[in-house]
Amino acid sequence: MKATSEEVQTSVKKLFEDGSIGHFIGYETGSDSLHVTPCFLKSGQAASRLVWNPLCANNLSKYLLDFKNVEGKVGIMVKGCDSRSVVELLKENQIDRDKVFIVGVPCSGIVDREKLLEVLGISPGEVVAVEDDGDAFLVTIKGGTQRVDKEKVLRGECLVCKYPTPLVYDVLLGEAVSSLPWVGDDYSLIKEQEALSSEEKALHWNREFSQCIRCYACRNICPVCTCTECIFDKKAPRWISKANDVSENLVYHLVRAFHVAGRCIDCGECERACPMNIPLRSLNKKVEKDLLELFDYTAGIDVEQQPPLTTYQLGDLDEFL
Amino acid sequence: MQDTKEVQTEFKPKILAFCCNWCAYAGADLAGVSRFQMPTDVRVIRVMCSGRVPPELIIRALANGLDGVMILGCHPGECHYSEGNYLTRRRAHVLKRLLSYIGIEPERFQLRWVSAAEGAKFSAVVKETTDKITALGPNRWVDKR
Amino acid sequence: MVDQTKSRIIEKNRLTELLDKLAQDYHLIAPVRDNNVSFRRVESGSEVTLDYINTVLSPKNAFFPQTETLFRFSRDDSRGFRTEPGAEADREQVIFGIRPCDARSLRLMDMVFNGQYKDSYYLDRREKTTLIGLACFDPAETCFCPTFGIDPASGEDVDILLSDIGDRYLVEASTEKGAALLDRFAEFFAELRGDEEQLREARKAGLAGMKKLDVSAIADKMAPLYEGDYWDSIGMKCLGCGICTYLCPTCHCFDIADVSLDEGGERFRCWDSCMFPEFTLMASGENPRPNRKARVQQRFFHKFKYFHDRNGELACVGCGRCLRYCPVNIDITQIIEDVTSGKAGNE
Repeated sequence: MKATSEEVQTSVKKLFEDGSIGHFIGYETGSDSLHVTPCFLKSGQAASRLVWNPLCANNLSKYLLDFKNVEGKVGIMVKGCDSRSVVELLKENQIDRDKVFIVGVPCSGIVDREKLLEVLGISPGEVVAVEDDGDAFLVTIKGGTQRVDKEKVLRGECLVCKYPTPLVYDVLLGEAVSSLPWVGDDYSLIKEQEALSSEEKALHWNREFSQCIRCYACRNICPVCTCTECIFDKKAPRWISKANDVSENLVYHLVRAFHVAGRCIDCGECERACPMNIPLRSLNKKVEKDLLELFDYTAGIDVEQQPPLTTYQLGDLDEFL
Repeated sequence: MQDTKEVQTEFKPKILAFCCNWCAYAGADLAGVSRFQMPTDVRVIRVMCSGRVPPELIIRALANGLDGVMILGCHPGECHYSEGNYLTRRRAHVLKRLLSYIGIEPERFQLRWVSAAEGAKFSAVVKETTDKITALGPNRWVDKR
Repeated sequence: MVDQTKSRIIEKNRLTELLDKLAQDYHLIAPVRDNNVSFRRVESGSEVTLDYINTVLSPKNAFFPQTETLFRFSRDDSRGFRTEPGAEADREQVIFGIRPCDARSLRLMDMVFNGQYKDSYYLDRREKTTLIGLACFDPAETCFCPTFGIDPASGEDVDILLSDIGDRYLVEASTEKGAALLDRFAEFFAELRGDEEQLREARKAGLAGMKKLDVSAIADKMAPLYEGDYWDSIGMKCLGCGICTYLCPTCHCFDIADVSLDEGGERFRCWDSCMFPEFTLMASGENPRPNRKARVQQRFFHKFKYFHDRNGELACVGCGRCLRYCPVNIDITQIIEDVTSGKAGNE
């Protein structure tokens, strides 16, 4: 059985009542029925605001950093991917396991709004609700319900998700989902890119990076970007000019991709946040693939695992003679 | 067509070499003292360890207009600080692949092991890298307004 | 009412040809679909897309570029410096397809750049620009421009307004600049057939349900909210990215910096955002707006109070971009409602 909004509400209410948590971070309905927005609770009274549906894209674990110094435990709702970023935060001692109460919800995929609207050929205002129904979504539109195949409207990261069920939690709502039927080779797109010539690659990324407006949404939304002062914000030395041109944007995107190397868990938040639709996951996925191939490392699985770039083995590949 | 050819023959690359104080920097010195012939397109920056060179510096250098960047460090097992070069090796593997992914040819970023006794190797590495990068032409990522 | 003497029509199938012609004589800036729809410099009419509600980036880039060189400097022989001006708008430009909300935002920007202090860079571009607007008949759910007295089908703030009325566009010049452009390209335009007014009225039906909030007293109602905890939960949610400010057609804050390389360099101006901590960071390390709450609060106070106090207008045109693209769905219309209804102070 899948977890429902009611189930989330009841259990959060109970957690507040028995004193397990003093705060809770979840989702509530946003500006319209195709949006949810993060919701912060201080008591169980408002728990009825909480929702859980296939629109809950935000990775809330980023907010845990804001609750480091509060009294009592903070409860948080996590999907499979979100739980992996929680693992990364724990690994880096960014948060204290004893101070968080993790409410896990197995997830069978999140809707990509733009794709959904395109497939159905409707405008956002017409959608009343979206529900999960196995390999499809049930979309309630004014005047009827439509079944839409998940593979057509899922977010990119959900199409390659290998961990739909949270890996770390205190309580799991609904039944665990072991694997998702549509997931195949998660690096096929990366391999296509790798096969291009240097000239083609440069052309492609030059076009992508030239669109960047450096709003830093991809950095700010990233759950594993935890520096108190980011290298891009440093005044002295200045690592990056505030001027927006392709080579500065190149520095930004490469350094960002490298800084999250071995920590990125492909929650896809950077790409979702990007207003310019730059395919940011592609860079992160490339690094993820290399770390897997070179060092047999996958991020966000095991708190005890040593991050790949802070360690070494004598027998590491040596292609530099 | 004629024009491009002319440009290509005239192209002199700008290459940066981060040299470890304990090995490659001394190796460069030895190459000089030994009067080995080598191209003069490489600028050397001395660092205390190849492990001191973070990827940001490489990326920054390439974006600032360098045509190639090298890190020259101690052979595995010979790091003055035991493990700096091992950590650099891991980072370099990842960085090289990432650079290649966005169209910066792998030849433009090199990590090489050059000991203090290898003056000849230093000049060979410099020559080889310069030749490769000259053949590649200018770094196409530099696109200042 | 359609002014018979100043109005023309253009057949839809001739539009690309007109744009080709415009691109030859002017810097033509028009909506282009890439990863997203944005205003770009185009060389031909075929690059232009007209299938969009509004662009992701507002056209403010054409007047107030994200980065622009103010001047370059270099050493001269006598150990002094010589300077040369940065690139000026060398040609007249035409912005094609600007929506009425974005066109209104230029009026607000003028108050800043053409107020007490004249900004020659902005004004030069503004002067050399002809605006060809595109009336909006199918607004998005996030649109609320009527709130600010904007009629999405009107050509009030543009030089020429095009209205899509089925098989052709109704073309109305509302300024002399616009009329001159119509004359110059007269071969593309034809006389009215007589049913245009009727067709346009029919299309306006799509505007009926648009969100219109009452903002008449918002500036006064903002004042008491400076203290209090209304902004806490919004600040909590906010990620502190620059999407809302960079996409906003009325946000105009900038920074000026120098880059120097070798023997010379340049001074440039670039967009800045009150959402970034460094925006108010002082050399001492003190930051008067130390957290996200203070910064979010500032953004709304600037829009709905400070700008109003200074210029008598609200710094928002209801384009809905900040709402649509906010990754955590912070809803400006909800905030306006909370403030105007008094709910904001009583939580």
